[in-house]
Formats: sequence, structure tokens, C-alpha cells
Amino acid sequence: MSKALRDPSTQLTFIKQENSIHLLVGLLTGSDARCRLLALQCLHELSHSPHTSVSLTCLPASSYLLTYLSGQSTRFTELCLYTLGNLCPDGDAVTEKLLAQGIIPALANCMESQRHNLAVVEAAAFTLSQLLQTRTAAQNIIPTVLASRLPSLLLSVLTPEPEFGPAPAIECAWCLHYLTSSTKDNRELLTGGALQQCSSLLGTLGGAVTAGKRDEGLELLLCPLLRCVGNLLCCCPVEELSSQVGGASFMVTLCAIIHTYLHTRPSLAREAAWVLNNATAHCSQICSALLSLNLVPALINLLLFSEGINVMILRTLANVAHKNKESSVQLVEHGLLAALCTTLKMADQEMVTLSLEVLFLLVDGSSKIAKEFVRQGGLALLEVIQFNSEREMRERASYLLHQHFVSYDQ
Amino acid sequence: MLEPEDMKSVGFGACSVSEECQTEATEQKNPFNFRTEVFHMHKDHHIFEDGDIQRHMYLQDLYTYSAEDATTLSVSELACHISGCSGTFSTLEDYEHHYNTLHRHVCCSCRRSLPSARLLDIHIQEWHDPLFTILAQRQDMYQCLVEGCGLKFSTSKHRKEHLIRIHKYPPDFRFDRGKKEKGAQELKRQQPKDDMAMDVVQDVCDSEGTCDLMCNVSCSDQLEPGESMETQVLKDKGDGLPSSASTEDPSTDAQHRTALKPQYSYRVPSTVCFGHGSVRGFRGRRGRRK
Repeated sequence: MSKALRDPSTQLTFIKQENSIHLLVGLLTGSDARCRLLALQCLHELSHSPHTSVSLTCLPASSYLLTYLSGQSTRFTELCLYTLGNLCPDGDAVTEKLLAQGIIPALANCMESQRHNLAVVEAAAFTLSQLLQTRTAAQNIIPTVLASRLPSLLLSVLTPEPEFGPAPAIECAWCLHYLTSSTKDNRELLTGGALQQCSSLLGTLGGAVTAGKRDEGLELLLCPLLRCVGNLLCCCPVEELSSQVGGASFMVTLCAIIHTYLHTRPSLAREAAWVLNNATAHCSQICSALLSLNLVPALINLLLFSEGINVMILRTLANVAHKNKESSVQLVEHGLLAALCTTLKMADQEMVTLSLEVLFLLVDGSSKIAKEFVRQGGLALLEVIQFNSEREMRERASYLLHQHFVSYDQ
Repeated sequence: MLEPEDMKSVGFGACSVSEECQTEATEQKNPFNFRTEVFHMHKDHHIFEDGDIQRHMYLQDLYTYSAEDATTLSVSELACHISGCSGTFSTLEDYEHHYNTLHRHVCCSCRRSLPSARLLDIHIQEWHDPLFTILAQRQDMYQCLVEGCGLKFSTSKHRKEHLIRIHKYPPDFRFDRGKKEKGAQELKRQQPKDDMAMDVVQDVCDSEGTCDLMCNVSCSDQLEPGESMETQVLKDKGDGLPSSASTEDPSTDAQHRTALKPQYSYRVPSTVCFGHGSVRGFRGRRGRRK
């Protein structure tokens, strides 16, 4: 029957049958093990339905499903978990009931007792990720989750050598993403070592990224890890940042991700660029690392590209220039001025305004850099921008021309 | 709106600066305000949209992973920043060609674009130099436009006859119009698609409203009532620029541009349904177990 129930119209017919669910639940809790499994398969199919009315019929079984989580049968537990996970998006009433029935402790226990069973871990993490995406998660669910053992359990799965594929790590990483992105205050997770663990794993994955392995699992894992790191960087104290993210391999991986996925998965490249900005915003050591690891020239080349990537990369370079004069000099040596001569012509206003800011950072206090900019023909661009309809752009161009380039002939 | 101080600081390319255009050492407040910033992105932020779709499809077992699935990431579009010019370009070459064709050798006073430095000089001298008019009463001041010819004439009419007769110029040569002649004078013959620029430059001159302070000749002189050609061009392009000398509001242009803020989901499959009641509530059903 479970095969028949894959068809949505069959599902509708089924649930209209009197006592059909009652029957299933009866079988689910009956004494015949094989029947239990088959009944569960039916329920799982129903839970998977695109019609909420169908999937909600599974709800009466939820208390049993939760109870079975501490059982020993792998396949059975997995299916219970997926069924529960499928129910989560179905509305507040479902969430309330599941919470009342103790889904969070149940998940925690399940993950802990079954932590060597990766299929179950994957399923439990999946269910948790579904729970964390519900409408009221931030208020009702996340505080409880953070108070439980779940965060440390999730982190323990993020190891660099998954023998059985990345799937469990993928699910755990997505859970952590929902945790870190739902609220701004992630200090608990930070204290629990989340930033360290995620960036460490990212650093390790760098090898696979640069090897150019086109691997579905890899991208699906990189994505939530990047997001976790990006958001965790926001609340990490500056003095601890460098030690937490682990320095060189992390930076190299970030840049490798941007370059490798630029054309094939630009959203991933964009997210990595965002993380790069967050890492360089307040931390001098990371800015220095970017220069000393010779990652800057390749980044400068990326300023030409659109789809949001160039803005974040330019912000990153601005962060570096902002640090000190020596950094500005090095950036110019790597060709930033020439790149600005192109970005100043772009249609994207944000890009142009930011380019002017960067130019200011570079030439302010350095007549040498100012002269170089003139030599590269940049004055004409500024003169043009003086007549742009955007006040922000006009003001900046005008200020630069009068204060920093006034002594140069056209 | 450009302040008069801003107008005075003009310096296009090889523009010869007339008296009115002298740069004043105005004390400007430093407008730069870059601060290094971290950005916390909420799970529903649009930057995450594409990645969420990928995750969704993975869960639905719809995820068809294709190594050859390469989206061509485009180079960022270039745009001409001259106020009112709406030229956009996909290559540096196009941009440079546009700028060099239409925005170099621009007269500060009336914003007309001339094709060469020499013609610009002549233009400024004949149109905007009060001394010229005085001198022209007593001596031949109108130079032949052909470089190397060296001849001068007492009136522009004489010069025109000379150009037609000796140098075989067409009688309607565009860069020898007198001040009160009508028409979109400075349009080049071969227009790239952005030939709006010239009319627009004229328009900007009007719309900025400060032109009167700058020009010896009032701008309205240059737009005869019967300027059907110019307005016609504007209407044809139909991108909403005012066809009269009314104030073009630069802020609406800016608003329009911010309304077109780039959306990040560049590849949303049409089959993806974002569930009920949430910003991006995936009904993330687990697929069939294999």
C-alpha cells in the first residue's frame, strides 16, 4: 500500500476512508514488527504529500513516532525522523504539539545514543533543520535547542574525514546555519567552539576545492559552513578572531571558493566574498594575511564581475586599505588603481561610490599614489563623475579633484 | 541639483576654460565616510536565495548535479556617468568610443560637444568670447575650419561660402551653425545607439537651471520654438526625459535606479514553489528513500 500512497490522488482517497489513519496507527503500534514498518512507510508517504490536509493526518501518530526515536531499529528510526521532519512545515499547531511532546529532548537523545549510526544522525539533523525553519523558531525553539546538548552534537559531526559521505555533516551544518542566522547574538555558539569548528572544516575542504573536484556533496556542505562562519564572525571579539578562524588555510580556502565557483555556482562565490569582508572588517592580522599570502592580485581581477560579487570584494580590499598606509602601497603595487579606473565607469552606483571611497583611502596622505592615478589617466574619470546625477558621487569626485589632484595638469 | 560652485569646477577633457569657468578654491566638507563593517545576514536574506534553492532541490531529490552546468557570469555593465547620459556598454571599447565621441571637447558654457579641440576653441571664441564680437567688427576673425588653410573671414557667412566653394563642404555642415540657427546641431552623422547623449547634454544644461549664470547666451536662445527635430529625437527614444526646458528632477532618476536594485536570484527554476505563509518556506520534504 505504501507504494500506492506515493500518488497524491490515492492519498486523498485513502484519508477519506473512515478510520484509515486510525488503522495505520494501530498497525504502527501493533505487535507485528513487519507491520509496524510497513505502516510507518505508509505514514511517511503521506507526510511527504504536497497537500497539507494529507500530511496533517499523520499528526496523531506523532507521539508514537517520538517514542520510537529511542528504539533500536535503524530503518525504523530513520523513517520516524523523516516523517516528523516532513510534518514540521505544516503550521504552528504542528510545531506546538511536537514541542509539547518533547521533540527537542527526543532529538538530542537520539543523536547522542545513535551518534555512531550516521544514517540516523543525518535523519535527526534533517528533522532538526526543519524545526528550526518554522515561523516561530526564533522565540520558541532556538533557545531550547541552544540550551540542550544539540549544538555540541552537531559540531561533533563536522569532522574533516567523513568516511560515509558528507550527508550527515551537510544536515548538521544546515542546522547550525539556521541557528546562527536567525538571531544576531550567537555568543553561546561561539563559546561552544562553532566558529573554530566550521572554519577549521572549511580550511580542510580547501584542498578538495582547489583540486577542482566537481562534487555535489562538497558544494552542499560549503554553503552552510560559509554562512555559519559569516554570521559568527559578526559577534566574535576582534582579538580572538585570528586564532579562531585558523589563519592561512581558511583564507586560502575562501579565495579558492570564490575563484572555483565564480562561473559555475556564483551564489557560492558571492557568499564566500561576504565572509571575506566580515573576516577583514576589523581584524588587522587577517588583512595582513591576505597580502602576505598573495591572495590580493587574483581578487583584484574579480572586480570586473557583476552579480554582487565585485561589491563585496571591493569592500574587502577597502578593509585592507583602511588598515594602514603600507597596505595601500601594496594594493597599488598589485594593480588596484588600474582596476579602479574600470570600476569607476560601471553602471552600478554602489560600485562607483565605493570605488571613490577606496580611491580616497589610497591617495589620502600619499602624493605618490595620487600621481600614479593621474598617470594612469584617472583624472578624466573623476571629472566625468562630477556631473553625475547622484549627489554622493558628485561630492566625492569633486572633493578628490580639489583636495588631492588640484596641482596636476590635465 | 548642481550648485553654482560645482558648475564652475568643470574640466572636460580638452575643454578650454573660459572666465566663468575658473575653478574656485571652495572649502569642501570631506564627504567620505567609509567604515569597515561586518554584515549579519538573516536566513531569509536574498543573498541566500540561490543556495536555499539548491538545498531545497537536494532534499526533493530533484537535484540534478551537472558538472557542465556553467552559468556565464557577465562582466559588470559600464555606464556613462555624464549626468543625463544614459549610455550603457558591455565592453571598455564601446565605452571609450562613446565617451571620446560625445563627451570630449565639451564647451563649459553651453555644454555642446565638438569633435575636436580646434573646433572647440573656435566655438568658444565665436560664441562665448565677448571680445571676439568686438574685434570681428574691425577685422577678419572667422577662421576657416579646415586646418592648415589659415584664411579668415569677416562674417560666418563668408566663411561658409569659402568652405563650400573651396573645400567642398556640404552646405549644412553641422559644426558651422550660427548661434541662432535651429536644430540638433552637434549630432554626428554616424550615431551609435546612444545618440541621445547630445540632446540630453543640452537638456541637462537647461534642467540644471544654473546655465543662465554661466552662459553668455541664454540657453533658451539655442532652442527655437520650432525645434521639432530635437524634441522629436527625444520622443523617439521615449525614455521619459523632458522634451522642454523644464527642470529634470535628478532624484527621480536616482529613485528609479534604486528601485532596480539587483535581485540575487538569477536562476530560480519556475518549478520551485515557495510554500505557504513564509518568506521562503520550503516545504522541505525528504525525498523517497532510495
